[in-house]
Amino acid sequence: MRFTLNIWRQKGPNEAGRFVRYEASDVSPGMSFLEMLDAVNQKLLVAGEEPVAFEQDCREGICGSCSLVIDGIPHGPDRGITTCQLYMRRFPDGASITIEPWRARAFPIIKDLVVDRSALDRVMQAGGYISVNTGGAVDGNVLLIGKDRAETSMDAASCIGCGACVAACKNASAMLFVAAKVSHLALLPQGEPERTRRVSAMIEAMDREGFGSCGNQYECEAVCPKSISVRFIATLNREYLRAGIVESALSSESESPHAESV
Amino acid sequence: MTRLFSHFQSSVGTKVILALTGVGLVIYVIFHMLGNLQVFEGPHALNSYAAFLRDMPILLWTARIGLLGIAVVHVVLAIHLSLNNRRARPIAYVIHGYRRASIASRTMAASGIVLLLFIVFHLLHLTAGIIGPASAGLIDAEGHRDVYGTLIHAFQNPLMVVVYLAGQVGLAFHLSHAVSSSVQTLGFEHAALDRLFKAAGPSVALLVVLGNVAIILAIFLGIVR
Amino acid sequence: MITKLDSKIPSGPLETKWDRHRFSEKLVSPSNKRKLTIIVVGTGLAGASAASTLGQLGYQVECFCFHDSPRRAHSIAAQGGINAAKNYQDDGDSVGRLFYDTIKGGDFRSREANVYRLAQISTQIIDQCVALGIPFAREYGGQLANRSFGGVQVSRTFYCRGQTGQQLLLGAYSALCWQIERGQVTMRPRTEMLDLIVVDGQARGIVVRDLVTGRLSVHMAYAVVLATGGYSNVYYLSTNANGSNVTATYRAWKQGAAFANPCFTQIHPTAIPPGDVYQAKLTLMSESLRNDGRLWVPKLPADTRSPHDISEGERDYFLERRYPRFGNLAPRDIASRAVKAVCDEGRGVGPNGHGVYLDFAGVIEQQGFDVVRERYGNLFEMYHRITGEDAYRAPMRIYPAPHYTMGGLWVDYNLMSTIPGLFVIGEANFADHGANRLGASSLMQGLADGYFILPYTIGHYLATAKLPPVAEDHAQASAALHRVTSRITRLLDAKGGRTAASFHRDVGRLLWNHCGMSRDEAGLKLALASIPALRDAFWREVVVPGSGDAFNQELEYAGRVADYLEFAELLCHDALHRQESCGAHFREEHQTGDGEPTRDDSRFAHVAAWEYREGTIPILHKEPLAFEFVQPTTRSYQ
Repeated sequence: MRFTLNIWRQKGPNEAGRFVRYEASDVSPGMSFLEMLDAVNQKLLVAGEEPVAFEQDCREGICGSCSLVIDGIPHGPDRGITTCQLYMRRFPDGASITIEPWRARAFPIIKDLVVDRSALDRVMQAGGYISVNTGGAVDGNVLLIGKDRAETSMDAASCIGCGACVAACKNASAMLFVAAKVSHLALLPQGEPERTRRVSAMIEAMDREGFGSCGNQYECEAVCPKSISVRFIATLNREYLRAGIVESALSSESESPHAESV
Repeated sequence: MTRLFSHFQSSVGTKVILALTGVGLVIYVIFHMLGNLQVFEGPHALNSYAAFLRDMPILLWTARIGLLGIAVVHVVLAIHLSLNNRRARPIAYVIHGYRRASIASRTMAASGIVLLLFIVFHLLHLTAGIIGPASAGLIDAEGHRDVYGTLIHAFQNPLMVVVYLAGQVGLAFHLSHAVSSSVQTLGFEHAALDRLFKAAGPSVALLVVLGNVAIILAIFLGIVR
Repeated sequence: MITKLDSKIPSGPLETKWDRHRFSEKLVSPSNKRKLTIIVVGTGLAGASAASTLGQLGYQVECFCFHDSPRRAHSIAAQGGINAAKNYQDDGDSVGRLFYDTIKGGDFRSREANVYRLAQISTQIIDQCVALGIPFAREYGGQLANRSFGGVQVSRTFYCRGQTGQQLLLGAYSALCWQIERGQVTMRPRTEMLDLIVVDGQARGIVVRDLVTGRLSVHMAYAVVLATGGYSNVYYLSTNANGSNVTATYRAWKQGAAFANPCFTQIHPTAIPPGDVYQAKLTLMSESLRNDGRLWVPKLPADTRSPHDISEGERDYFLERRYPRFGNLAPRDIASRAVKAVCDEGRGVGPNGHGVYLDFAGVIEQQGFDVVRERYGNLFEMYHRITGEDAYRAPMRIYPAPHYTMGGLWVDYNLMSTIPGLFVIGEANFADHGANRLGASSLMQGLADGYFILPYTIGHYLATAKLPPVAEDHAQASAALHRVTSRITRLLDAKGGRTAASFHRDVGRLLWNHCGMSRDEAGLKLALASIPALRDAFWREVVVPGSGDAFNQELEYAGRVADYLEFAELLCHDALHRQESCGAHFREEHQTGDGEPTRDDSRFAHVAAWEYREGTIPILHKEPLAFEFVQPTTRSYQ
């Protein structure tokens, strides 16, 4: 198979980028999309040119590194997968394919197709955890958790942090990402004590990073490699509303649970 | 209280207020439509309904000012969010594929602007009587203001019909995304009710617009005269 | 120079060694902890759990990873589960049994004391993980669910669907996030460790390269913890993530840390067979598939008929035939070798004959399509996506793939290497799995090291060692910086016409053929003779574009390949020295008439720890393995 690739090249964060055309020839249908790019890069290297920078690691759809917008859709035309799980047999021979990086103010470009997604880490650091010390945990079976609840929590927890939800959203919103984490922990009894603080702090951090707001278009769910449901966004909204009421009505102004953590 | 205020200044908080104000406006729009449907019962019914409302000036003006306030908050927050959202992606994709987003959801700003212009026009036209019908000051046989007559007069004019129908298109688009969207923003979700929530927007939009369009067309086509 | 390997194993009864040891350890006072900086390299299960726990204890932690986020470390890809001797199923499990299974699974090439401690701690790990909010699978009654996994007869594996590694890592990452937020851990992502700084015989810092700006910098500390994972990628194709590499541990080796048992490399039996040359990795299909799937090949060699046309009588269910007691659940090394054996006989299936069938027809017929879909749906889907084939209709094809490395830097009972102050945890050390690792044990070991062992033992070191302050411009730091700089310059200056990947492929193929699932003296000697030439060619002909002071992925990769080209030799030396077959290490010369491995406890019941010597072959030190509590037996799964 052969393809014409239209790839965004950008030398560095502050330099202007542009699209460059490359021909990918001798592509076998069993090659993954990233292997096809590897092959293009190997040829560029031998020709003394700089290869196309793109992020990848596990190549089995779980690490969340790979991040390409392929013909306008994050992770490409197939659903429920990452770019590394996309195979060339999916494309018609001779197709022209446009490859862009994730685009969002919160994800500045580092080089070519590589973007800086550390904003997501900072949102997690704001409260995406249960603050429990190592050691001294009670037996795992002390708190019973119903199967359905555990499964729903797991549905949310399966987020791989790739940022496709942000990339797909018209508003570059990170709501599905935050929703997944907040819901995962809010559904478990272990997450209960910090439920209020967590959601407030994470939303605050999300806004600080410059993500947009949710337009309820659900493009995020449609591109999410783990098909995380937008119902968790409703959960997040509810948790946030609840936190607003709890924080203002039930706690005194003096004890400010997350003021010091900012 | 300050904490509550700052809580609702976040993106999610703003969206909640947008949703709440939106819900308020939708409820008004539904009652507005239901009230106007009395046009099908003849001049007496509609004009006494209007007189009934005018007989409670404090309530009426509180409602009007409240409604205006809600609308202003809604519009201002919507503009604020849109500008923020635009900033969130400074460089656009050359190709942006959509998978799920409905046309209505993608045109919320446009339908919002259409709606806003229409409402201003509508207020100037039928409420204040500044634009258009010279009939605004008519009095009916029972001594009430002749709202019925004003309506009949207005919608016999094809230009007005076109303007009002365009407004209804804007309303239909806006509501069909907005209602379901508000349900989500206000945090309602349930596996069993998901479909209902999704259907809520288009259903409400359809009902309201069908009602309104029925009035306009019935008059224009001479079914109601 | 290494004089003696002191494993520092406490004396006395096995059951109380760890408790007594902990009690005898010195503590660091809370006010001093604040002044002590510890470097942690790597943020997988071991690194993230260690960094977060050390931060929680009050140390100042500087944590490094080469990924864009600590959450991407390859622990994330572990599918199956994590073992713990909870005995929630009341099926006869106990700490003693987990200990015995693990030490037997490792073919009696690990330390009793370490493995027993691991089994003891396993139960705490589960509790800790539950407290961190890890959504383990549950029963309808709300209790934790278990499954049986990889060559054991009890159900002791805890799991989160097929994403246990992901969930455990995200749990450790969330704990790390908390400590970052508290200011106890300074996280430096996209930063690669390129050398170790040893001052007066103590590990005192590292040289790192900022992968975005290319800037090199020196970071000093009172102790250095390496949690940098395994080296399966030396084989080029493996189930590891592309970024996983040997560089950190290898460079530490060159600074004096002994490398133990490098030849113990696990080849996982159930991966999707390799395809064309550009294939970047081998995708693992979870071992859990072997709970229901049956492995077979045609009885006749070169039988190219479709599997449906091969009747029951013409099929060889080779694992069931050879190991009737464990059947398809035989441990990984045994299953892998059995697969290789039937393929070597020309009975392999699929292109190149590199594959055997993993058949679900029986279970689909007995228990129904829906049951199979519920259990393995995501794996079948993954298989379909990669191969384009439907495993519900036709059997899967699988082939072994390098997966995990039991070998690693030598550490004592305190997880400290032969360089004082250099601690090594998780897959990067050699400690607990002997010659073969059982399924669902790597997650257990990574978290045991990081959450529960290192935080104790490192305190003792810091409390007792003399650690004068060392400046960043110390001569040893400058020397290390110089080593790194000159190496990068050399890579950039080669300006040849061959890519680093092509050399990586070559050395990988060489190892796979001669130091892979089975090894023999002639092959190992051939590999040892070929590697230096390949390495010379690399330095002459490699092409690395761009510059060192910018984001340059090819430069990162070429540096790692350069290390593989040296490390491969160490691997072969170790395999050559070990003239026995044990666990994952199978020497053709040492097998019974029917192809079973023969272990030689009289000559090789030791840990082989190799010391680096510049310009000559490494020096072997032996740590004898004493078995006081269990009797090494022939590891029979027949």
